[in-house]
Amino acid sequence: MHRFLVAFSLATLSMLTAAEPRKIFDYPYQQHDFPNGLRLVTVPTDYPNIVALYVVVNVGSRNEVEAGKSGFAHFFEHVMFRGTKKNPPQKRDATMKAAGAATNAFTSSDLTAYHATFSKQGLASILELEADRFQNLDYSESVFRTEALAVNGEYNKNSASPTSRLSEKIQDTAFDVHTYKHTTMGFLADIKVMPDQYAYSKQFFDRFYRPEYTTILVVGDVQPDAVKALVEKHWGGWKRGSYTAAVPVEPPQKGERKGTVEWPVATPPWLAVSYKTPAYTDTEKDSAALDIISALGFGPASPAYQRLVLQEQKVDMIGGDADSQVDPGLFTVYSRVKKEQDVDAIRESVISTLNGFKDTLVEKTRLDAVKNNLRYRFALSMNNSESIARALASAIALRRTPETLNRLYALYDQITPEDLREVARKYFVADGRTVVTLSGPKAK
Amino acid sequence: MKKLALSLLLMTATLPAMEVVAMPGQSPLIQFRFVFRAGSVNDPKGKPGAAAFTAAMLSNSGTKTQTYQQLLDAFYPMASGFGDQVDKEMIVFSGTTHVDNLEIYYGLVRDMLLAPGWREDDLKRVRDDQKNALRLALRENNDEELGKEVLYNVLFKGHPYEHYALGTLTAIESMSMADLQAFYKAHLTQANLTIGVAGKYPAGFVERLEKDFSVLPAGKPSTVKLAPATQPTETHVTIVQKKTRAVAYSFGFVTGVTRNHPDFAALLVANTWFGPHRSSGGNLYQRMREIRGLNYGDYSYIEYFPRGMYQFEPDPNLFRRSQIFQVWIRPVEPPTAHFALRLGLFELERLIDKGIPEADFETTRDFLALNVNLLMKTKSAELGYLIDSKAYGISEYTAYIQAALKKLTYEDVQKAIRKHLRKDRLQIVAISDNAEELKKQLLSDAPSPMKYNSPKAGDILEEDKIVSTKKLGWKPSQITIVPVEDVFK
Repeated sequence: MHRFLVAFSLATLSMLTAAEPRKIFDYPYQQHDFPNGLRLVTVPTDYPNIVALYVVVNVGSRNEVEAGKSGFAHFFEHVMFRGTKKNPPQKRDATMKAAGAATNAFTSSDLTAYHATFSKQGLASILELEADRFQNLDYSESVFRTEALAVNGEYNKNSASPTSRLSEKIQDTAFDVHTYKHTTMGFLADIKVMPDQYAYSKQFFDRFYRPEYTTILVVGDVQPDAVKALVEKHWGGWKRGSYTAAVPVEPPQKGERKGTVEWPVATPPWLAVSYKTPAYTDTEKDSAALDIISALGFGPASPAYQRLVLQEQKVDMIGGDADSQVDPGLFTVYSRVKKEQDVDAIRESVISTLNGFKDTLVEKTRLDAVKNNLRYRFALSMNNSESIARALASAIALRRTPETLNRLYALYDQITPEDLREVARKYFVADGRTVVTLSGPKAK
Repeated sequence: MKKLALSLLLMTATLPAMEVVAMPGQSPLIQFRFVFRAGSVNDPKGKPGAAAFTAAMLSNSGTKTQTYQQLLDAFYPMASGFGDQVDKEMIVFSGTTHVDNLEIYYGLVRDMLLAPGWREDDLKRVRDDQKNALRLALRENNDEELGKEVLYNVLFKGHPYEHYALGTLTAIESMSMADLQAFYKAHLTQANLTIGVAGKYPAGFVERLEKDFSVLPAGKPSTVKLAPATQPTETHVTIVQKKTRAVAYSFGFVTGVTRNHPDFAALLVANTWFGPHRSSGGNLYQRMREIRGLNYGDYSYIEYFPRGMYQFEPDPNLFRRSQIFQVWIRPVEPPTAHFALRLGLFELERLIDKGIPEADFETTRDFLALNVNLLMKTKSAELGYLIDSKAYGISEYTAYIQAALKKLTYEDVQKAIRKHLRKDRLQIVAISDNAEELKKQLLSDAPSPMKYNSPKAGDILEEDKIVSTKKLGWKPSQITIVPVEDVFK
């Protein structure tokens, strides 16, 4: 099939093989650093009328270094909607409504992002509104305690899904001291005592909600100079902070680990096989190579997928996922196995597939298909200003600049079969492996 | 701007049967939507899920000339795929490709729809997928979606809309290749087809689509006659018993209001004030979550909105001729379950008795007039909405809703609330572990006082007194417990 692709499309060919590959993120953007440490990235697009604003704070569950405080970054994301003296929640809502805005926020291990997508007429008022809450957030203890219950409700609604529990167990088993031991939601025990952490929440805001942790992304129907002037006006006076979380370094794992989750209702078993991997890098080839291995090993065009899902039909879902995180994380292969008795065989199959990369060099045509996939997948996702902003927010969490995407995709292009073999030998070692299974009640 | 651009760009080529909605543009991303006006209402008697199974078979199997494995290999370097969505009255196949790969992509999807391979090994795999989608993705791992779908199921009892599109486990198990082929032949016809295409496709491409798809049988429209759903004579509660941490609720009733109804815009304003999807600005959300911390969120709907826990905007091509008004209360802690339901009902009653505050009318209306643009933020959505508008017999949705909102008065909204919403004869669905206990509480009508972890304002405490002692007056016959294993069995 690849033959046709090349034959039909010279553009594709140039995308792949030109000596200097085109930048994957080729929107002209403006990046500006203010003296207080705040960074502004403005991306004018040709999607009319709409503006997507993402305020990205480089704080996530990774920064939750104190015992009993897991889940706090995510909880604080909720608290940020409780208003200021000048803009209490109702007034905030009115300003957003006047711009036709859809607004929300999300938290991951490495970032908390606040976003709004709206008609361009609303830009000035919304930038002012957001500047106010980042600098003057004001909430009572009573409101704080109530919000903690909503987080508990969020845990409850997530808890019906086995994959949430599976992720919790993988992180908890694979890590000992690093904060990636807990998920972004946090340990349930910590969620339960969140209502009592009002004083700590003030400290949390004071530490992390600072310009040096924050990047403002404005994408859409905008003029960069006008945006810069607005940001200067409303955010220029924000005071720099001084706190840095001392995130513990995870010692090398010595020996394979295993975990099991007993799921209360009937379910086909889930299997997760994880390996310790390095922190995200856009200068070394490791991250790029691991991404490619996850696709080559378990993507829909992989031999393992075709054998396990299509031919033998022993699993109905399988996929690889290499973490892109600030600190060393995991490469995980997830699968849902149709029958309990096949779990051991599937685990061995996953392990031997990954071991295969240590010995056998991947065919170049297969490698090229993955490189094509990565580029086209990115291009296909750039279909509106909001999704562009969302893709950039993830990049900002890692390197505070869209340029890291260009560097990563340039590395994808450079990856050779030998690179894949080297990376596989480095990371797919039994001592760094964690295997977690989730199963329903045993049949009576 | 948008209206003008659309009217200039929109070309509609009508063949005797099939229609093409074409939106040529500068984007290198080519969007396809193949929409058939048929769906689960056309499932043959005794074969619920035939439409969904047929569509899944087409979008997840090989063609006459290529195996599914070969298709996946071919899609992979293009990072493209082809998916289906099946609802009561529409089956849609959609996908996107970069214009670089248009030729090969189109060849694949055309063959998937026009020359399916009907292989036994594909059937076996797709059957497992269908069963797992029903048994696991819905019934066992997603309490909230389960509650919503059970609500539709009970509201449309005895109606063509009654069964869930995926069908039942028994029916999926017994579906034969011949059943799927029969459905394909009868309903995936030119008479039912609208093709949507957008982007920078080459000249002559639309004509090629028309020519290629004219090999489908001409067929006759699959639209079935729909009597109005039978309205219940009293409120009924269905408690689905399932091992789960918390208690989720959905409740509502069938309305006569669809997108082409004169009161649609008025009801949209009312609903956007009361319970806008995943927005913190709604009244329900404010009263239940923000003030009382009962759960993660509380919303209401006037149109079908599946997968709401994963997305902020609804998917297009879920055209229905009968819609419901629905309240969604996200999982609450079991000790507050009785109170939460009372509060949800109390807020609905207040909406009906008092309507929306006059001061909020203009802001809500003006918000909707702008916010509608966000629904169209992708070309694929724009195409989908255009096809839906044709089905509803209305003009392009953005212009349609903006014009309707412009004419709207506060009194129109108040009237629409009184006319179309009600506080009695509801269907209520709960997902709960301790179903017997919940049933006992609801029947007891005993006070369900709230205990908070922080001081509350006097007016809230006063309101709680009213809510926590609100009489529901339900008899044992009005509450049914269903084990989750029996749902969509």
